[in-house]
Amino acid sequence: MSEILEDVRYFLKTEGFLNEKISLKENDSLTETGVIDSIILLQLVDFLESKYKIEIPVEMLTPENFDTLAGIDQSVLKLKKG
Amino acid sequence: MPKDTHTCKKCVLDSKTPGITINAATGLCQFCEHFTPLSNEKKEEYRSRMDTLLNSPPKKGKYDVIFALSGGVDSSYTLYRLHKEYPHLKILAVQFDNGFISDTALENAQKFCDLTKSTYMRLALDQTILQDTFSKAARSKDAYPGSAKYRASDICNTCISIIKQKIIELAVSTKSPFIVFAFSPGQTDAPFVTLTKPFLVWMRKLFEGNLKAMGVAEREAYLIDAQLIQSGSPEPEVTIIHPFLVWDYNKPQFKKECIQLGWIDPDLKDHNSSNCLLNAFAIKNHLDKYHIHSYAYDMAALVRQGNMKREDALQKLKVDASDTSIEEVQRKLNL
Repeated sequence: MSEILEDVRYFLKTEGFLNEKISLKENDSLTETGVIDSIILLQLVDFLESKYKIEIPVEMLTPENFDTLAGIDQSVLKLKKG
Repeated sequence: MPKDTHTCKKCVLDSKTPGITINAATGLCQFCEHFTPLSNEKKEEYRSRMDTLLNSPPKKGKYDVIFALSGGVDSSYTLYRLHKEYPHLKILAVQFDNGFISDTALENAQKFCDLTKSTYMRLALDQTILQDTFSKAARSKDAYPGSAKYRASDICNTCISIIKQKIIELAVSTKSPFIVFAFSPGQTDAPFVTLTKPFLVWMRKLFEGNLKAMGVAEREAYLIDAQLIQSGSPEPEVTIIHPFLVWDYNKPQFKKECIQLGWIDPDLKDHNSSNCLLNAFAIKNHLDKYHIHSYAYDMAALVRQGNMKREDALQKLKVDASDTSIEEVQRKLNL
C-alpha cells in the first residue's frame, strides 16, 4: 500500500467511520459505502493539503478524483509532482 | 445503560453507540484520542479570510449573502452578528417552512430580519409531498450511509439537504457570491467551501440517491435545478461560509444576547432545537432505528473543542419520552 493510502486510511479511521468491519477496496466508492460524506470529504482535502503541502484545486473535487482510494492516490501523486 | 457500557471520559460518546470504541487504557473515544485543537494561528487565518471575503463582496446580483435562517438561536444570532460586523452586506434571509417550524420561530425570524435590515423570504414547498417525504425518511433504513447517520437523523438529513440544495440554487440563480449557514463547530469543520459545478453535480447525485433509497418518487423539487449546473452553464462562483468556525461558539452567552434583542425562547421540551417541532420525533426515530443519538456526535465535538460543558451536553442528550410533540408528529406523518 502506498504512503498516501496509508495516510488516507488512518485519517478515515480517526476522523471518519472506517473500521475493521468495513472491507474497503481501492476502487470502492467512499460515498456509497458511507465511509465519507461531503463534510468528511472536505476535512480529508484539508488533511491532504497540510500533510503533503499541496493545494487541491476545487475543480478537482469530482467522484473520479476523490470518491475512491485509487482516485485519491493518483490525484495527490499528480499534485505532488506539480 | 448496560453495565459494560463505557462513556468517553472527555466527551459524551459511549461504547453502546455502534462504531464508537472507548480505549480501556485511556478512557477516551477514538475521536478524542486523535483530537488536535485548532491553533490560534489557524483561527486568525480564518478570521482574516472571512473579513477579506465579506468586506468587499463582488457585486454581481441583488444580494451579497443568501442566509439560511431557521429562527432558532444559532441562526438568529449569526444574522445579527453578521449585520453588526458587516453592515454593508445585502442579505436575503431564507426560512425554509418544512411544515413543522414553531410560530415562535417564524416570529423570531421576521423580527431578526427587521433588526438587521435583511430581506425575508419564506421558502415553502408542497406540504403534502414534503410530509410524505419525511414519513418515508422515518420509515427508511440505511437511506443515508454510515457517516451521515452520526451527523443527523434521517429526517433532519433530508430536511437539511433540501435546504442546502435550494439555497445553493437560489445563490447561483441570483448571482449571490456568498451563502452563510449557522452550523455549529460540532456540525462542520470547514469554514469556507468554494462551490464548483463538478462538486455540485456530485452532491446533487448523492442526495438524489438518498431520496431514491427512501422511495421518494418526486425528487426534482428538492434538488438544485440541473440546468444551472449542466455542462456549458457558467461556473457558480459561490462560497459557503460557516461563521461559527471563525467566531467563538458560546451558546449561553449569545442566547442571552439574542433574548435581550427580542428573541423569544419557544420553550420546547426538546433540548436540541428551538425552532422545529419535528426534531424530538426525529431523534427518537433515529435512536430506535440505529441506536445512535443524532446529536451525540455534534455535542461530543463541541465538548472536545471546549465549546460546551460536558454536563450540559449530557443533559441535552437525554430523551424526554413525555414530549407530546412526538405523538403529534407521528400522527401528522401517518406513522
